[in-house]
Amino acid sequence: MDTAIKSTNGTRSFMNQSTAKDRADRVDPYGFKRSDDFDYESYEELMSEYLVILTRRSIKWTRLLKGKRKVQKNVKLKRYVRKGIPNEHRALIWMAASGGQDQLEKNPGYYQSMLLSHHDSKLVETIRTDLNRTFPDNVLFRKTSDQCLLKALYNVLLAYGHHNPSVGYCQGMNFVAGYLLLITRDEEKSFWLMDALIGRILPDYYSPAMMGLKMDQEVLGELVKLKIPRVWQVMVEHNVMWTLVVSRWFICLYIDILPVETVLRIWDCLFYEGSKILFRVALTLIHHNQAVIEQAQSLPDICQAFKQITQGPFVEDCHAFMQKIFTEPGSLSMASLTKLRTTCRGRVAEGEP
Amino acid sequence: MSRKKAAKGKATNSSPSAGSPAVKGSGKTARSSIVQMNGVVHPSRPSVSNSNEFYDIAFKVMLVGDSGVGKTCLLVRFKDGAFLAGSFISTVGIDFRNKVLTIDGVKVKLQIWDTAGQERFRSVTHAYYRDAHALLLLYDVTNKSSFDNIQAWLTEIHEYAQQDVVLMLLGNKADATNNRVVKREDGEKLAKEFGVPFMETSARSGLNVELAFTAVARELKHRSMKDPSETFKLHEYVNMEMKGAGCCRT
Repeated sequence: MDTAIKSTNGTRSFMNQSTAKDRADRVDPYGFKRSDDFDYESYEELMSEYLVILTRRSIKWTRLLKGKRKVQKNVKLKRYVRKGIPNEHRALIWMAASGGQDQLEKNPGYYQSMLLSHHDSKLVETIRTDLNRTFPDNVLFRKTSDQCLLKALYNVLLAYGHHNPSVGYCQGMNFVAGYLLLITRDEEKSFWLMDALIGRILPDYYSPAMMGLKMDQEVLGELVKLKIPRVWQVMVEHNVMWTLVVSRWFICLYIDILPVETVLRIWDCLFYEGSKILFRVALTLIHHNQAVIEQAQSLPDICQAFKQITQGPFVEDCHAFMQKIFTEPGSLSMASLTKLRTTCRGRVAEGEP
Repeated sequence: MSRKKAAKGKATNSSPSAGSPAVKGSGKTARSSIVQMNGVVHPSRPSVSNSNEFYDIAFKVMLVGDSGVGKTCLLVRFKDGAFLAGSFISTVGIDFRNKVLTIDGVKVKLQIWDTAGQERFRSVTHAYYRDAHALLLLYDVTNKSSFDNIQAWLTEIHEYAQQDVVLMLLGNKADATNNRVVKREDGEKLAKEFGVPFMETSARSGLNVELAFTAVARELKHRSMKDPSETFKLHEYVNMEMKGAGCCRT
């Protein structure tokens, strides 16, 4: 099958004898190199269905936006967002839904001024340590790429660190900023989306005390206790702290945990509906796979199980998965979440030395 | 859309919980059935690649040290014998991998925990110190501040780890001769001051990687077996083996 070579313009030769692997790019649409064990057959099968959905959604969105550069939040838009924002409109909708656009317009030149301000050398060093360790498997994050995003990544992280010195830089923010740049291809927009996420949408996950992270891990534990008690029981029996299995889920907002397309679909809702979405995703993963987790006989088994449940067809079929997150975990009201957060924050604060 | 193939297959997995060393009768191992991932592990994405290898005793080892000193690289080099420059991502949170070594006919399983180096993650990782049987404390010989921070790390270790924890200091990236800023003698001096064994390692070249983990496994095995006919001194073993290798001692 080596003779079936893809030409540069994407047309295929020897179509009749080529395999799914020959037909697909070795790099995904976002620049990520597909791993050696990437399953091209099931990918092609999935995409053949998803492309139909994407096309339908794209037509609907074009009609909705009609060339508008401003959008209002309303029930219809929320429904549209849940069904997925076409990639060409993602930056626009994320900026509008998160309030990032308002901030950008209210603060002209602010981003540039953050870049020009006196550089905190410790911040610079911390960011530099992670630059080449952000997405080494993405062609756009390689020094050799003509559209290399590494400098932009550095700028966004540095500007953010100066803008919000109480957070500065926390590992994990490199991945978040990296995704924002991949979608917006714009430093200033990425900066204001970081500001929306860290400043308004998420609790304090990234500050030095990581109180928001500890709180939300506890909250997830409480929700599991309530909704999936047998899993909670297993965690207690083996003395597994939630931080061990879910800290990356929260800090990386599912980057490198779930498939890229699934993460972006989650982020569509995250920017529109807020951090509640992160719990919906976690609860869906755990609920759907409770049998796998319950089988675990030890702490390492449990860690293994929590990795396993983030892979496979269930999470790869992003459209079906996104429908599931609104049904599988059951109701999750903002009021009860706020109450749980208050309780858990208190509990975490008491436990601090 | 997806980046990894779906998890497939069923395999057996033997793994006791961390805590006190789990000593088992030779060949008799608790086996639980769990569906697991394919064996292929991408070096940049540490995951628990399970093996249904038997083992007699199991220990928990933790890798600690500043961000970027090479903890994950060292672990991947030890586990898979691989080093792919520029293929690693920064570790967020905490993760572990298993490896079974055979020491004098005894199968010793090391459950090796890899941690995020950034200071703010320590409150998350502290909780795991107390269960650790051994700690490998790393600095980067090309990064002075990672060396200067060793003292702070030791203070932290004394505060949170068990008193009898096996501790070793490693100066990593020893292959980087052009960028070196911490001399080997400085590492030795510091180690001597705190009474911990020391060696320089390189995840890139593989220098002393096997030795570091083997020495720790030997010490832990020796302690738990309490075989009176056998004497083992970690310091002496490390010094002897390094000389034997003829690579980094004059």
